Amino acid sequence: MAMTEMQELVFDLRGRICPSTLLVAMKEMNGHRQELQERAVQLRLLVENRDATVTIPEMARNMGYAVSLNKVEQHYEITISATA
Amino acid sequence: MTTPLLIILSGQLLLGLTAGFVMHRADFCMAGIFRDLFLFRRRTMLYALILLVLALMPLYELTRLLGLTNYPFALFGPPSYANLLGGLLFGVGMVLAGGCVVGSLYRLGGGSSLAATAVLGLILGSLLYVELDAWWGGIAKTLSFATAAITLPQLLGVPPWLPVLVSLALLTPLVAHWWRQGLLQVAFGPEGHIQPWHAALLLAGVAAVSTVLAGIPLGVTTSYAKLAGYLMLPFAPEHTASLGFFQRQGFNMIHPLFGIRLTGGGGPRLDSIALIQFPLMAGLVAGGALSALRLGELRVYFNAPLRQYLSALCGGVVMGLASRLAPACNIWHLTGGLPVLALQSILFVAGLVPGAWLGARLLTRLILKI
Repeated sequence: MAMTEMQELVFDLRGRICPSTLLVAMKEMNGHRQELQERAVQLRLLVENRDATVTIPEMARNMGYAVSLNKVEQHYEITISATA
Repeated sequence: MTTPLLIILSGQLLLGLTAGFVMHRADFCMAGIFRDLFLFRRRTMLYALILLVLALMPLYELTRLLGLTNYPFALFGPPSYANLLGGLLFGVGMVLAGGCVVGSLYRLGGGSSLAATAVLGLILGSLLYVELDAWWGGIAKTLSFATAAITLPQLLGVPPWLPVLVSLALLTPLVAHWWRQGLLQVAFGPEGHIQPWHAALLLAGVAAVSTVLAGIPLGVTTSYAKLAGYLMLPFAPEHTASLGFFQRQGFNMIHPLFGIRLTGGGGPRLDSIALIQFPLMAGLVAGGALSALRLGELRVYFNAPLRQYLSALCGGVVMGLASRLAPACNIWHLTGGLPVLALQSILFVAGLVPGAWLGARLLTRLILKI
């Protein structure tokens, strides 16, 4: 995990066993709920597991967050933040 | 090699390639379907699996009525408590491994080092079973049910089409409801993603064509035992040759379409089982690889924590062992036996569901510690 200048918490979850990517994403969404709601931080998750690109955005949206999914080279980046 | 054998070999390769490609694109993971049901109450893929089984019911009934397949399929037998126990263990194993016997193959093609570890575990688990076969054979005899019926229609004394018709009448409105509610598709997806319902129908087509072509449903686990035999052979040739499991020729049938006799077993021989299953396995790996290559996503990662590699290995070993105890695997029972209401498959699935629940608890508490 690294804290960037943009108050973005980055988690590299590439190469992990299913479903640890989703479990880590849920843990971090719950752990940073207040900062996320206050727009103090946003989460950026790096995943290569295609299943995670379906389940993490689905879960984040169900929890009321805004989600974006982008392909970057050979992996995907999921950004989770407070809704506008 | 005769023309029918060449058709079976090339057809199975092509069907494996198609299935591997579709499964990779949709990430149609059978282990994930049951695991995520318990961990996240996520049902989308379970609904897609039910659609797959439901689509196969009339397809298999049609092939039976046209005389294209045997009824019941070869290699299915009367039910036993071993099917339940095997299903339970298999459920635990597939969740710990992060994928089932087929899921590990298409993911291996996609570059997953964890899937490669699970495949190694599957071969080792099969090897373990081979050594326990004589002991288990004695126990298995005491676990059989007092019936010679192989399918539910045979047990009930009704024609095979009747329970199929009843199942379709009961489940089709339910699937139609899920369809209307948008529960058979997902809102997000990676590049080249195939929606779950679309993947389910494509895989049902692959399973039905493969069953007509090979004479038996989709399955790969006997070939994991064959690979274990090939692994043992150079180190212990006499011991390998002496093992009862490797000597048995459990597969013996006249192919309904080609009229040729197919025979084989779990031993390290290039018999009919090898002819049917090895190309399928190669196709599944190649299909996953082709999909990943075309998407530019083929890259091998080795950065998972050691504990996760151990989980994949142990899960593979448990699955390999369970697939021989059961006998057979989730693909065989879910896409082969369940649509024709084979009693062995009903029991296997009855064990698989609590097994996946137990596997999910073990995975989160011991491996992921979340």
